Amino acid sequence: MAKEMIAMLLAGGQGSRLYALTEKLAKPAVPFGGKYRIIDFPLSNCVNSGIDTVGILTQYQPLELNEYIGNGQPWDLDRLYGGVHVLPPYQKASGSDWYKGTANAIYQNISFIERYDPKYVIILSGDQICKQDYSDFLNFHKEKDAEFSVAVMEVPWEEAPRFGLMVADETDKITEFQEKPKNPKSNLASMGIYIFNWDILKKYLEEDEADPKSENDFGNNIIPNLLRDNRRMYAYHFSGYWKDVGTISSLWEANMEVLDPEHSGINLFDEDWKIYSRNSGMTGHKISAGAEVENSMITDGCRIKGTVKHSILFAGVKIAEGAVVEDAVIMGGTTIRSGAVVKHCIVAENVTIGENAVVGAMPSGDENGVATIGAGITIGENAVVGPNAMVKNNIEGGEEQW
Amino acid sequence: MVNSNANALGIIFPNSYDALVPELVNVRLMASIPFASRYRLIDFILSSMTHSGIDNISVMVNNNYHSLMDHLDSGREWDLVRKNGGLHIFPPFAEKESKPYVGRVTALANILDFLRDEKEKYVIMTDTNVVVNFDFNAMLQAHIESGADVTIAYNEQELPESVFTYQSNDKGFYYTFDLDGTRVKKIYVNPRTHGVLNFAMNIFIIEREMLIDMVNTAFVRGQEYFERDVLLPQLNKLNVQAYKYDGYVARISDMKSYFDENMKLLDDYNLDALFSGPPIYTKIRDDNPTRYIEGAKVQNVMSADGCVIEGEVENSVIFRGVRIAKGAKVKNCILMQDTVIESGANVEYLITDKNVVITAGKEMKGTDTFPVYIAKFQQV
Repeated sequence: MAKEMIAMLLAGGQGSRLYALTEKLAKPAVPFGGKYRIIDFPLSNCVNSGIDTVGILTQYQPLELNEYIGNGQPWDLDRLYGGVHVLPPYQKASGSDWYKGTANAIYQNISFIERYDPKYVIILSGDQICKQDYSDFLNFHKEKDAEFSVAVMEVPWEEAPRFGLMVADETDKITEFQEKPKNPKSNLASMGIYIFNWDILKKYLEEDEADPKSENDFGNNIIPNLLRDNRRMYAYHFSGYWKDVGTISSLWEANMEVLDPEHSGINLFDEDWKIYSRNSGMTGHKISAGAEVENSMITDGCRIKGTVKHSILFAGVKIAEGAVVEDAVIMGGTTIRSGAVVKHCIVAENVTIGENAVVGAMPSGDENGVATIGAGITIGENAVVGPNAMVKNNIEGGEEQW
Repeated sequence: MVNSNANALGIIFPNSYDALVPELVNVRLMASIPFASRYRLIDFILSSMTHSGIDNISVMVNNNYHSLMDHLDSGREWDLVRKNGGLHIFPPFAEKESKPYVGRVTALANILDFLRDEKEKYVIMTDTNVVVNFDFNAMLQAHIESGADVTIAYNEQELPESVFTYQSNDKGFYYTFDLDGTRVKKIYVNPRTHGVLNFAMNIFIIEREMLIDMVNTAFVRGQEYFERDVLLPQLNKLNVQAYKYDGYVARISDMKSYFDENMKLLDDYNLDALFSGPPIYTKIRDDNPTRYIEGAKVQNVMSADGCVIEGEVENSVIFRGVRIAKGAKVKNCILMQDTVIESGANVEYLITDKNVVITAGKEMKGTDTFPVYIAKFQQV
């Protein structure tokens, strides 16, 4: 039986701009929002939109991501026909190829897609926080009788030069594509989410692969080739919450926006559009007498004895008496000892912050850096981590890193 | 074959002692009573069995088991979806001879054919009113080493106050014993003795073949209760060993103990004692983390995910999806799933069942010896 639409999720990005957070972790596996990982969003969107077949294209540091996805059960994607499949590059009789580019990653998995004989294929990105109903997008694609559609967001004109822009006419038909132009003719930024008719996608992937000069990239090669051939291409306007969390500051900001769903538009408390994740299995969290918790999100396994303000704590975080945590993202299993002051920063999983250590600082003047501590790091007693620090190695007691 | 599993199958009696907490089992049974902010009582026994390598588990539901079926589903959360073994739920009337039962003997007589077909050498039987993170392997080992016919787990504790007020035995039977070394010398049925006793936890280990013989004989004689009718009269003939359990035990014996045992987990020492072992699994609800909004004041609270807290909460256990509005005050309460405390409400010593709403400005107070219980879906 043919599937109407299957999803291919690009999850091979190295996420090098997340530095310490992605040293041993693929970007889509980076924790987000207290109990999620970035990839939970596109996966949950798929299943909430009725898409039950998802290929995940992995490449960089896939171990933890593979284990996290497992059989797909937390997302209800353990299916007899379809479900979620992790698709790493693999050895062939004629040698093995890394995925050379986004288009090449899909090209190498044409046989996977053909098993489901889909009419449409949606290409998703594993590094965005977004709640989107892909079935609305598909309806648009069908109504326009499009061969290719791309989801776009209106961005402020002054920021437009940072994006890949779609120039479209009044019927939303795309007439031109500008990649990070100096003089933008449009403020419709591509979200990197595409719907293709499968026959068209396959044709252009094969053509692209045959071109030795191609970078095998959707933005740089496939889309320009579609334009060249005057294909029926449309821009689908999306106006919900969308955030590329590819940098430390944007990741921190998106986490903080979760704390303010009334204004930011990212509401994780939506019964009709749940975000699914693999559960920590820890017991309920505990806030002791004498603790102070304000404007924060806290999940299973946390033990709070100190002060927590405007912060997001992941599963199993322990905050000792007298410790102060503010404007911080503290990932799972981290322990913050008494007297430590942890502010305006991202602390990755299983970190220990020693007594009276200082990590990060609230912004003052032009100084608004987000201190970042990588997974498994130990920060010694009385150590100081400056607001722009990127900590990849343990810091001994009393020492400083700026 | 590699021996990754215990050579024992589990049989759980989820309705045992329902009569002790009539309010809580109005819409459920003992096994599915919510406990410790995100669990149901059966989670502790099931998870303990899974961690002990017991993956062939039968649940002998008797009545009011809809909520338990919903909770257990296929058993996946406890890793009990297995080709061999896994989770079996035996409802009454599953076969033409199987009827609702009174005691263990009839319950087991209902599934004799199943028991005959299984491969495991031993059977572990338990109730669900005792909350433990239990190592069944250690007990099985002790059973094998002692050469016992039957081993019963017990802990040393006093009887709950409420048993001294009972006028009759209509709330079911509980057992204590006298020991000679580790051998059970005498079994007392519903004693009213003060002081620390050897209080049976109703966890039994016995060889499967022997159990089948015992049940056959007892059933023919019209006997009902395994402890009272089978073990007690044969203490001279059978080697019945007692296995002392020193770990953390939360025993649900009445509403008061239900309240107290939840509250005791607010003490980190107790919380660690119960949960520091292997994890306790439960049904996943995929709630978001709990959100504490500006103005929330929280002291000494255990809470699950999915809550939104804007008011003041003190000394309370909060289950998944609870809402406490601005200006509301909650003290010494157990609020089960999706309870809503509206703004300005002031509650103390309350146990709210699922989906209770305390409307704005209402004041309700129980006492520490008599917490007020509010039934599921009630609006106050």
